Amino acid sequence: MDLVLQLLFTGIGIGAVYALVALGFVLIFRATNVVNFAQGEFSMVAAYLMVVFSVDLGWPYWLSFLLALGGMALLGVIFNLGVYYPLRHRTFLPVIIATIGASILLANSVLAIYGPQPQVLQGWFDTPGIQLGPVYLDSQYLLIIAVTIALVFFNYWFFEKTLLGKKLQATSQDKEMASLLGISVSTMIMITFIYSAVLGGLAGILVAPVLFVSIQMGSTIALKAFAATIIGGFGDVAGAIIGGLALGVIETFGAAYISVPYKDGFAFLVLVAFLIFRPQGIFGERVAEKA
Amino acid sequence: MPLLEIRNLVVRYGEIEALRGVTIAVEAGQVVTLLGANGAGKSTTLRAISGLAKPTSGEILFDGESIAGLGPESIVRLGISHVPEGRRVFPGLTVKENIMLGASNRKASSAQISREADAMFDLFPDIRAFADALGWTLSGGQLQMVAVARALMAKPRLLLLDEPSLGLAPVIVQAVFRIISQIRKDTTVLLVEQNARMGLSVADHGFVLETGRIVLGGKPDELWGNEAIAAAYLGGHAKASA
Repeated sequence: MDLVLQLLFTGIGIGAVYALVALGFVLIFRATNVVNFAQGEFSMVAAYLMVVFSVDLGWPYWLSFLLALGGMALLGVIFNLGVYYPLRHRTFLPVIIATIGASILLANSVLAIYGPQPQVLQGWFDTPGIQLGPVYLDSQYLLIIAVTIALVFFNYWFFEKTLLGKKLQATSQDKEMASLLGISVSTMIMITFIYSAVLGGLAGILVAPVLFVSIQMGSTIALKAFAATIIGGFGDVAGAIIGGLALGVIETFGAAYISVPYKDGFAFLVLVAFLIFRPQGIFGERVAEKA
Repeated sequence: MPLLEIRNLVVRYGEIEALRGVTIAVEAGQVVTLLGANGAGKSTTLRAISGLAKPTSGEILFDGESIAGLGPESIVRLGISHVPEGRRVFPGLTVKENIMLGASNRKASSAQISREADAMFDLFPDIRAFADALGWTLSGGQLQMVAVARALMAKPRLLLLDEPSLGLAPVIVQAVFRIISQIRKDTTVLLVEQNARMGLSVADHGFVLETGRIVLGGKPDELWGNEAIAAAYLGGHAKASA
């Protein structure tokens, strides 16, 4: 029983990271109808920005954190203007190819600067964790879970309670109608890219001390997060979060009870099972609302 | 000076010439109805006015200023609201949220916009009960009411209405046209209709569009009086009801 609780904690912690990246996928997909294949690279770049500010330059952790998130907001702007905006009137395929190209460019730019050796980033807290009864709560996982919970509430408040959130939703549902009402569609899409880049970046910064900071970390996280969006029901915000958490828990239990080397395999096994038996995902039927 | 003046408007979609030199004028305070068969260019005319379709040539003057080639976001700020074909109510937002977003063309606090949206239900009492229902759950008539209410939130000087009667039961069509005759007290209306009888019943002036050209214009009774036109565009029973 103790082990189960311990695994549940770790699983939710890693699942929270998938959830944040999955949320970024979903928000961009809803706004532009395109899957952003560079979403994982947002996490990777943010982790390297932390290495630059916090390790290489030795600046305080909180300052590095703010600067890294600021850098991600800027990357969101550049990504929107450089990758999405010139192709916005084309079909989805050129845009998807452009995001794949951007992901390769980002990964190799970082590789050219830092080389292939993984970097190490300290966690936010000096204390490694606390013992709560039978369960050891790692401080970094606690931080990840706390930030994710806060973001889920923020996301809900932003999209459901503010007029700007409603304008973003309107834009994702019908761009032409939104523009007829005087909503600036290009501004709404810009905001979506900034928000998604910051979300992805946050996930990367939070998970970096748990994993190593490496060129591949982005694609690993992104694959899991993408699987999470399909399990949750593609295009659904709640689905992305639930799917991410579920995936984290499943792979943690799979690794502990079945096989550690096949850890990544469990996530994709679940994905395949969903694609066969429930391709619309957990919250799939609600996709009908968008029809 | 007319509120809206269109001269020799040509719109091409690729090889297809949807409008081949349309000239109409809408005086302030009027309801003007644009009639014509499917594919005559009625919707394209409205889309060109609101900025959704780029004019190939010709002039569109609103209040004496050229608006041809401006984007829809700029045109709605000048005071032209377009209720497009199919109503286009946001399916995943509630009725009240849809209506509130109609004010996106002007600066107002969200509390102010929320009050104005509540007041809008006085004009559309039939949808008050559905304020918190999502757009996709509504019937065609309710959607039409929401779409018009949303457009009025922009406080337009000119309202463009595309086929408000399309797909609605006769009793609902009458409700929609009652609303149009209320709106006209404050707003100029350019109405596109296939239902000629309803369209002309509220109009001060009508135009008949045929394959991208205006072939006839005049007061509603003049249009009813033109037998050949009445038979072709206004339905075979035109004479009986005229």
